[in-house]
Amino acid sequence: MSGKIDVLIIGAGPAGVAAGIGARREGAENVVVLERDWDLGGILQQCIHPGFGLRTFKEELTGPEYMHRFIKQAHEEGVEFRTNTMVFQIDRDTNTVWTMNKERGIEALNPSSIVLTMGCRERPLGAIRIPGGRPSGIYTAGTAQRFVNMEGYMPGKRAVILGSGDIGLIMARRMIWEGATVEGVYEVMSWPGGLRRNIAQCLDDYGIPFHLRTTVTKIHGQDRLEGVTVAEVDDKMTPIPGTERYVECDTLLLAIGLIPENELSRMAGVDIHPVTGGPVVNDLLQTTNPAIFAAGNVVIVYDLVDNVSDEGLIAGANAAKFALGKIPSTAKRIPVKGGENVRLYSPQFVTGKTDSIIFMRVTHPIEKACKVFATADGEEIYSQRLRYARPGEMNEVKIKADKVQNVNSITIDIQPV
Amino acid sequence: MNYDIVIIGSGITGASIARELSKYKLNIAVIDKASELPAGASRANSSMIHGGFDDKPGTMKAKFCVPGNKLWHKLKDVLDVHLDECGSYVCAFNDDEVKHLELLLEQGKTNGSPGVEIISGDKLREKEPNVSPDIVAALWSPEAGIINNFEAVNAMIESAQINGVKLFLETVATGLLLDDNGNVRGVSTTKGDFIAPVVINAGGVHAGEIASWAGDKSFKIIPTKGEYFLLDRSTKGFIHSFLFACPSKAGKGITVLQTAEGNLMSGPTATEQLDPEDRSTTPEGLAEVLKGARKLVPNFPVNMNITTFAGVRANTESGDFEIRTLKNPRGFVNAAGIKSPGFTSAPAIAEYVAGLVKEELADRVTLTPNDKFIPERHNIPRFLYLDMAERKKLAEKDPSYAQIVCRCETVTEGQVIEAIRRGARTVTAVKMMTRAGTGRCQGGFCCPRVAEILSRELGIPLEEVTRHGGESKLLVGKTKEFLLKKGAEA
Repeated sequence: MSGKIDVLIIGAGPAGVAAGIGARREGAENVVVLERDWDLGGILQQCIHPGFGLRTFKEELTGPEYMHRFIKQAHEEGVEFRTNTMVFQIDRDTNTVWTMNKERGIEALNPSSIVLTMGCRERPLGAIRIPGGRPSGIYTAGTAQRFVNMEGYMPGKRAVILGSGDIGLIMARRMIWEGATVEGVYEVMSWPGGLRRNIAQCLDDYGIPFHLRTTVTKIHGQDRLEGVTVAEVDDKMTPIPGTERYVECDTLLLAIGLIPENELSRMAGVDIHPVTGGPVVNDLLQTTNPAIFAAGNVVIVYDLVDNVSDEGLIAGANAAKFALGKIPSTAKRIPVKGGENVRLYSPQFVTGKTDSIIFMRVTHPIEKACKVFATADGEEIYSQRLRYARPGEMNEVKIKADKVQNVNSITIDIQPV
Repeated sequence: MNYDIVIIGSGITGASIARELSKYKLNIAVIDKASELPAGASRANSSMIHGGFDDKPGTMKAKFCVPGNKLWHKLKDVLDVHLDECGSYVCAFNDDEVKHLELLLEQGKTNGSPGVEIISGDKLREKEPNVSPDIVAALWSPEAGIINNFEAVNAMIESAQINGVKLFLETVATGLLLDDNGNVRGVSTTKGDFIAPVVINAGGVHAGEIASWAGDKSFKIIPTKGEYFLLDRSTKGFIHSFLFACPSKAGKGITVLQTAEGNLMSGPTATEQLDPEDRSTTPEGLAEVLKGARKLVPNFPVNMNITTFAGVRANTESGDFEIRTLKNPRGFVNAAGIKSPGFTSAPAIAEYVAGLVKEELADRVTLTPNDKFIPERHNIPRFLYLDMAERKKLAEKDPSYAQIVCRCETVTEGQVIEAIRRGARTVTAVKMMTRAGTGRCQGGFCCPRVAEILSRELGIPLEEVTRHGGESKLLVGKTKEFLLKKGAEA
């Protein structure tokens, strides 16, 4: 393939591969997906457990199986992939994308439109400032997962897991399967960070103790980790004196949150939302730079990969439309506001051009019947009853284009009924 | 193993002395217990090149600080080291503190610190808009700077190695060897005896113990912990220089600075402790740093923190450096008690120590100038800082420079391979020499990749790769082997 790139997609995880498919289906000629790893699939390559694709394919697939189906489609659609290719710079104003690859060297690409699909990364230890030593044996759960599932090595024999994000829960079970001991999962909040089904299938089924309102307060060891001190916390998340307990372990896995990875987005000059940590987007998944679109965990951290793929398809299609001159630059921007119990949501604007879905997470769990709803200038335009609402699981608000044609703003929220 | 001189410790002091002495035709060994450099206080400090106004005239600190500062401004180019020549401010919050600034100003003039002056709080805020509105005046020291201390120590010891010095890591000195006359014969270590008529003690927090082997009890090291916050590099420009609070009896106090690489940083505390190796951070210490940081910079963006760490510095009871040769045993030199402004002073201390060896130990070693001395040393190419044409050239010449290993700091595989070629053997050594793993994900992404490259380049199994030597292995074995072994045990 030669000539000008119409749509350039950065990152070949679930969002990027779907964006490639979406762009080609919309009629873009040259669609290129860049991937810094040697293979396609992003983090799903190392997610060898089942549980993916229940909604999209109506069956339970492993991460690599799920990705394989999309990658196959992308090849059939004529999407070009460049692996081992890292984007290290995007120039604002010109939207020039600088890439490097061992065979191709350093190249400057000038596509008609760009889709950001870089995904997210794990919060490191430094983000939570645990006092103590700095021995080996402390890993983010995802790094440990790469070692075990991709490289075939064990990071340790006796693990403590801090945080109850999904990767931490999955890794707790994985460590048991590989013959290690898991001393427990410790979560500072009063509710789990990950999906309930993972608590059941990864912890409860294996008798792994799960401690809410408890955190690690000290790291012991200079060379290799020797143990951690854990303590219960009060309502302000401050450790309660007298509840400290020493737990012997040689491994501490961190599952303390995910952060959208937006170094390149910042270089490109798109607005970043202070709460989601991802680009501000409208319902076309267009950022504040009209030629740049974004989808998946780079925008907001999703709970299910099906949603990431769906958003990738939409972003890719709209990036193709932009490249083909089919998106007018003067789109309306109707702001979306989050109500009292909304922690984060995306998109933050809708254009009213298409029906759209706003994804959101609640701040506090509601363990009884409730409703997720949207109002436009005070009038209810969407309402859906739920059995519960939990911070670990996303909720959706569906907005019909015809309901927002003459409105000034939209508010979304979840409240008990 | 026979040498002319053995230097114990390869922190900035030992490394600078080694380089200085490599200007002479000498057979020199430097030993250090660490697996990578810098390790002790030279790794975990404020990375400050001080202006020289803070030290009481007449002290050794005052004697070496200003000359050391001047040497670093030259060495930064010779040794290819990042030195941000940003200047420093001492901030006063009230009239009493302004009086203290005047004292420091006088002291600075006496010490020969160039260009020091007192400016108003408003003038300071013109340059540094994020400092406290309560600061009424500041002492400006234009010659102060902030160095990349990881680079500086490695540059110094590499330059010494280029000129023939032998470096022995993971080598712990265990005692002093004396000859029949009771004079220095060498050092015993965990890797065998190092025989030499001259031994230089640059042992940092352990220098007191090492001196006691020579029967020297004239000073005592008080290990003093300093804790720090290090923030994401995207905080670059929040402040542009080095901010001190007005010093108190407890020391120079909590400072706020922008590192040579652009990270916002704050620290240190000053907590005396018995254990020279305890570098753990504490809730109390970190709270104290945060309080101090917010006093100077009220909106100190602590939510951008990427790591906290602690260093242990070698304070002395005298409060001054302890640098001298011993009369008995002959051949023993102390370069001890080197704490702030130790990093600044190191090149000047090195010249002084070389002079001591030349004048006072002429009967033991002869210092003949080495006319083949090469002053320059080139850093591993820093991809992040190269312009696009240089990057392209580098990648064409060696494709491994077109492969990113550390995405936060844009470190390429080529840099990692070059660090290994220059002696890196651990993940932390690669970090010290290339900055891979110093960024916002703190090695989450690059640690497995660096470990793989170490394994491949050194021809060792991945499970043998360590974080920082000793028992700090990253992995405990292969998955299935581990499971089978467990099955067999059961």
